Amino acid sequence: MGRWLHLPGAVVARLWHSCSRSTPTLVGRALAATAFVAVVAAGTTAAHGGGSGARGASVQVPLWLFLATGGGVVGASFLLTAFATDRGFVRRLHRPRHTIEVPGVEFLSGAVRTFGVMVLLFVIAVGVLGPDTPDRNAAVLVVWVTWWAGFTASAYLLGDLWPLVNPWRSLASILPSADRPYRWGGWPAVVGLLGLVWLEVVSPVASNPVLLVAVIVAYSGVTLAGAAWFGPIWFREADPVSRVFQAYGHVAPLYRDLSDGGIGARLPGSGLDDPVLDSADDVAFVVALLWVTSYDGLVATRPWRKLAETAIAAGTPPELLYPAVLVAGYVAFLGAFWLAASGGRRFANSRLDADLLARRYAPSLLAIAAGYHLAHYLGYLVMNVPAVMVTVTDPLSPGAVGVWPLPNWFGGVAVGAVLAGHLLAVWIAHAVAYELFPSRVQAIRSQYTLTAVIVAYTMTSLWIVTRPYAPTPFV
Amino acid sequence: MTDQTRDVDGAVYRCEYCCRAFNREDWLALHRGLDHRAELTPEERAAYEDAEAVEQEALRMYQYKALAALVVLYFGFLMLFAFVRTV
Repeated sequence: MGRWLHLPGAVVARLWHSCSRSTPTLVGRALAATAFVAVVAAGTTAAHGGGSGARGASVQVPLWLFLATGGGVVGASFLLTAFATDRGFVRRLHRPRHTIEVPGVEFLSGAVRTFGVMVLLFVIAVGVLGPDTPDRNAAVLVVWVTWWAGFTASAYLLGDLWPLVNPWRSLASILPSADRPYRWGGWPAVVGLLGLVWLEVVSPVASNPVLLVAVIVAYSGVTLAGAAWFGPIWFREADPVSRVFQAYGHVAPLYRDLSDGGIGARLPGSGLDDPVLDSADDVAFVVALLWVTSYDGLVATRPWRKLAETAIAAGTPPELLYPAVLVAGYVAFLGAFWLAASGGRRFANSRLDADLLARRYAPSLLAIAAGYHLAHYLGYLVMNVPAVMVTVTDPLSPGAVGVWPLPNWFGGVAVGAVLAGHLLAVWIAHAVAYELFPSRVQAIRSQYTLTAVIVAYTMTSLWIVTRPYAPTPFV
Repeated sequence: MTDQTRDVDGAVYRCEYCCRAFNREDWLALHRGLDHRAELTPEERAAYEDAEAVEQEALRMYQYKALAALVVLYFGFLMLFAFVRTV
């Protein structure tokens, strides 16, 4: 994301920097033995840059040990799943629990639709007419803080409300539609998602309100044209934004029960062992979502800065560097996941197709992406709540904008969220494997390669979220 | 399973109810017992029960190994945290 929006990274970095330096105590060491605690404690100190204030006793460990512990926690959780062998128990845990009746649902959804369209108009108007400074402009804050940090979090923590809120869907529903046959599956969404993230990283779309409005207007044009030509299928298949929320919605505890149209409630993440992905392009989209969350964090680290400087000194044009790394990283992620799926097939000595395995295991990656998103944005969201309130209530001439300071322990939340996402992913893979294979030992063996990929990914994510913030270079 | 012996290379055991193919006869027996429980013949039920007993045994073996790995992991990290020089 643009310069200003790199704040989430800055928040995390600031938190690491503010932690205390103290000698390890016996208690600290004993705690360190308990892996989870160790990771959180180590996480808050791994990337410290010196102490301010001497509060809290924490264990000082080198980076490699911190990362290894994170990977170890996920690996240990995989070993622990071997003891959850009762198929009935696994199935019961994942069964939907309740159906909730919502009174006045028609009226409520009409109100939410109207609200969505009004917010879109508000953002466009304030982006053009409001102050130039991004941290005082309500349009910028509503888009990045309320919507991209807050609403996205609500999609995986509560449920996907985007089909209701989506102003473009509401607008398209009152426009005529040609309902032409649509046959590209999710590929346009994959390209669209990579394209939007590239734009967000290389352009000042997060710091320049007018540019932000220009991007929103262009997106509106494409989306409304697509919906008018192909009908509502556009939002289910081709629109990258709708698909992001749809994908995160699979993680959520609340969901739209398609059998009776009511709202179902389930344990968070337990929807991910359903066959929610239909084809290879759906898998490609899930992997793209996971990759862009990492890419977004990666380009705001110092090692990336060094790498970019070296590459550009060697003659790589900066305009090429970012898209090339975006695409290369995506291909690497896709390849790693494909190896995990086909390796699982081989370890399980199964006759199931590797693409079936890929489709069934890919939803577990959504838990990881959600955990990573929360790690990256929760602090940013909480900090900026006052700024949003001040600017939204007086968008054209907002008063003094402040931030809520975050407590020191907040950095542990990021590490905890990353770990929780990966632990959930291991559990989902376990439940899926039990559904796929008749032998439970075979089911466990099928997860070897996927678990290895998840452990590698845990360590990468922890490394990224604990890097101090460095402005994205050459953009 | 660790002592995996493939029956005959390339042999396929196909479920008569749903046509799903398996590389091992006991996996087919397990599959029939899990997914077609209501339709089983007495012989198929007996085959399922036998396969399940064998599976249970293999699972127990695996769990011992997993437990050993967990112990190694736990104490490995304990030692690392205790002896690694603090920064």
